[in-house]
Amino acid sequence: MYQTLLTSRYLTSRVIPLIAVAAVALCVALVIVVVSVMTGFLNMVQASGQTLMGDVIISNGISGIPHYERLANRLSENPQIHAATPIVDGWGLLRMPYPDAKSKQSETVQVWGIDPESFAKVTSFEDSLHWKNPTDNQRDWLLFDAISQNEDSIRPLMDATKWNAFVEIVNSASRSLNFGEVHLWEDVHTLLDDTQWNSLLAFDSRLSTPDALQTQGLSLSRNGKPGIILGLHVSDGNSRQRDGSYDVNRNDYWWMPRFEGTLTMLPVDAEGGTIEPESIIMPFVNEFQSGLFMIDESRIFVPIEVAQTLLHLDEATIVDLDDPTQIIGVDPARTTSILVRGTAGIHADELREIVAGIYDTFVSATPIDTLVYPPSRHEPGLTINTWEAQQASFTGPVEKERELMRTLFSIVYLVVAALILSIFWSIVFEKTRDIGILRSIGSSRASIVWIFLQYSAVIGIVGSLLGLLIGWVITKNINAIHAGMGNPPISIAVISFALAAGIGVYTIIKSRLGQMLPIVLGTLGCITLGGIGGLILFVREMGGLVVWDASVYYFSQIPNELDWGSSIFTVCGAILFCLLGALIPAAKAADTDPVKALRHE
Amino acid sequence: MSDMHPPILEGIDLKKTYKLGRASVPVLHGASLLIHAAQWTTILGSSGSGKSTLLHLLGGLDRPDKDGGEVFFNGDSVWKKSNRQINNYRNNDVGFVFQFYHLLPELTVLENTVLPTMIGGSYTTKKEAKDKAESLLDQFGLTPRLTHRPRELSGGERQRVAIARALVNNPSVLLADEPTGNLDEETGNGILDVLSELHQQGLTIVMVTHNIEIAHRGDVVVQLRGGHIVENTNRVIST
Repeated sequence: MYQTLLTSRYLTSRVIPLIAVAAVALCVALVIVVVSVMTGFLNMVQASGQTLMGDVIISNGISGIPHYERLANRLSENPQIHAATPIVDGWGLLRMPYPDAKSKQSETVQVWGIDPESFAKVTSFEDSLHWKNPTDNQRDWLLFDAISQNEDSIRPLMDATKWNAFVEIVNSASRSLNFGEVHLWEDVHTLLDDTQWNSLLAFDSRLSTPDALQTQGLSLSRNGKPGIILGLHVSDGNSRQRDGSYDVNRNDYWWMPRFEGTLTMLPVDAEGGTIEPESIIMPFVNEFQSGLFMIDESRIFVPIEVAQTLLHLDEATIVDLDDPTQIIGVDPARTTSILVRGTAGIHADELREIVAGIYDTFVSATPIDTLVYPPSRHEPGLTINTWEAQQASFTGPVEKERELMRTLFSIVYLVVAALILSIFWSIVFEKTRDIGILRSIGSSRASIVWIFLQYSAVIGIVGSLLGLLIGWVITKNINAIHAGMGNPPISIAVISFALAAGIGVYTIIKSRLGQMLPIVLGTLGCITLGGIGGLILFVREMGGLVVWDASVYYFSQIPNELDWGSSIFTVCGAILFCLLGALIPAAKAADTDPVKALRHE
Repeated sequence: MSDMHPPILEGIDLKKTYKLGRASVPVLHGASLLIHAAQWTTILGSSGSGKSTLLHLLGGLDRPDKDGGEVFFNGDSVWKKSNRQINNYRNNDVGFVFQFYHLLPELTVLENTVLPTMIGGSYTTKKEAKDKAESLLDQFGLTPRLTHRPRELSGGERQRVAIARALVNNPSVLLADEPTGNLDEETGNGILDVLSELHQQGLTIVMVTHNIEIAHRGDVVVQLRGGHIVENTNRVIST
């Protein structure tokens, strides 16, 4: 087929198809990267919501749901429900251990009282715990704390000489531990005999058991005492690094599992008035990272009993108002919400109906002589929602943002289409004389169109697939690219400057011949490469470029999953636009009089 | 005119008006001519006389005005044919040679020559077509140039490739529009010698020129002035 011969020659013997392929590829890659990141962002918002709060949430505000254990049991018995867990949800003030002065800072926190065992079944609580094993440095701090807090008990363990040596080691460590690695653990271990060493380790179970941080986190207790798990961004002691990891300030000094905090909550009485605030001092056990910045900066977990006590939702006796010594019954403990997770494959809406049914039977099965009745499903205040509805206020704006992006991107699509159209228009225009020749030797109009249709199909397919590849590579490595932008390597600047200098010298030599093109290209190359080098130096001087700031976006990582649906749509769209872009001018050219086309220069 | 040379191509009362913007420019005012097989007819005229237009109308490249006469090829009206038949007429029945060669720059000499056989043509195999093209190019001394691109050839070589392309489908008539117009005299004469040789082999040629000397290489000279045929000189007394 001569059409195929011509198409392949047009494609291989000219530069313009390469430019067209590059233009199509870049347009496709642009659209794919932006849509993928945007979609990934929304998916992450929604998915994290689900892993943080289960599929369905029953809640009844601050007055709570009494007899919730019975409800939770009923829910767990249903074969379509994987697990249910009660939550006491309230706001509080947490007095932090920092700064290192008399007046401490307080953070406003959203307190979730949880039952860790069932909570881990409903949410991805276990995975979200940030500290798995202490680093060597953190272990030195824990040892240092154990020693300084138990000095009086350690002194009798050894004779005076050893004690002096021991004190010397610990003092020297305490001076440098704030700045760099010391070998307190090894030094003390070498000094002490096994008995002394073991009694030292016994002060903190985290010293002897490496994974105690994790197991204690899962039981919400530190060395037997109920404790607090903080969102990773609650404490100012953690600072996020550019690569997404976390460093603890002052060489792990402000590592929260060393400290304790005072939690204050404001309970509300039965009539809705406030009662005297309640406070409790609790050790910090671990920290969690949900990935959702808004949650990581404000939420803390405490054992459910603690939250119930602080909010006066715990079990209480009901007394006769006329005679307070007369006990007439028990006000059961309450929970503000119950989170439910369905078995795999069940849709949240379906589960919601099941949960609502179970709730109704739970209410109607309450014995008649019960003093405190759970609220009926028709009471205002009681809600049974899917996770989607529950966090609609949060995902709503993101979803709107995506709609806005889609609208804006339909304009980008049009720009891309116009670009492709204009490229093909000029390609076909340039070939008008060839079209006249072909017509004069007997080509039909349809076969002329077919030549350019094949031509554009090849450019469209190669360009779009290349764009897909580029988009895929960029999307997959977007966090690395972002990190690179945050701290551009100096070597790239050096190479750019070296290349710019080389091109500059070459241009000067060439320019003596007086030809314009080498001067123009050389100058442009020189300016571009020099500009890149200068930009890198500038960015480094500015301390790096952070586009994705975890405190602005909700996630600590940029989504890096390709949105295959949109990508395939984009690829097909680009190919279609290439075909249309060539079809219209080719049809126009094929209709031109052969004589006129032949005169075309 | 001899009975041995039957009429092959006939133009009757051909009129053509071009539209340039709002103005109508009449180019042909009713030109008639008869071309006999195996004759070399030259159409002589100054620039703007309508000689190229006449050739285009005869070759099926340009359509006469409405009611602007008819072109008959072997007795059939060319412009009453379907589009498909007109394409086939351009491909198979006539062969065009242009002043500016009009070769496709991306194709080699051989590919340019074979191209009309790929579009249509009467060859059953590719091999047959290729052999024909190669023998034509060989005849014109272009064998060492087969894989070259047109831009690597001289003007004379290019025009010989164009003639080979025009002849590859064994057309009944070769239509040449100022074939030497872009060449120096010596090269031009070389091309005319090629045409002479083809003519002696029995090819019907219609050639357009503004040069009276060149025009007289033909058997018949048709002189065109201002869109009218003013003189029809039959130089050859057929035997």
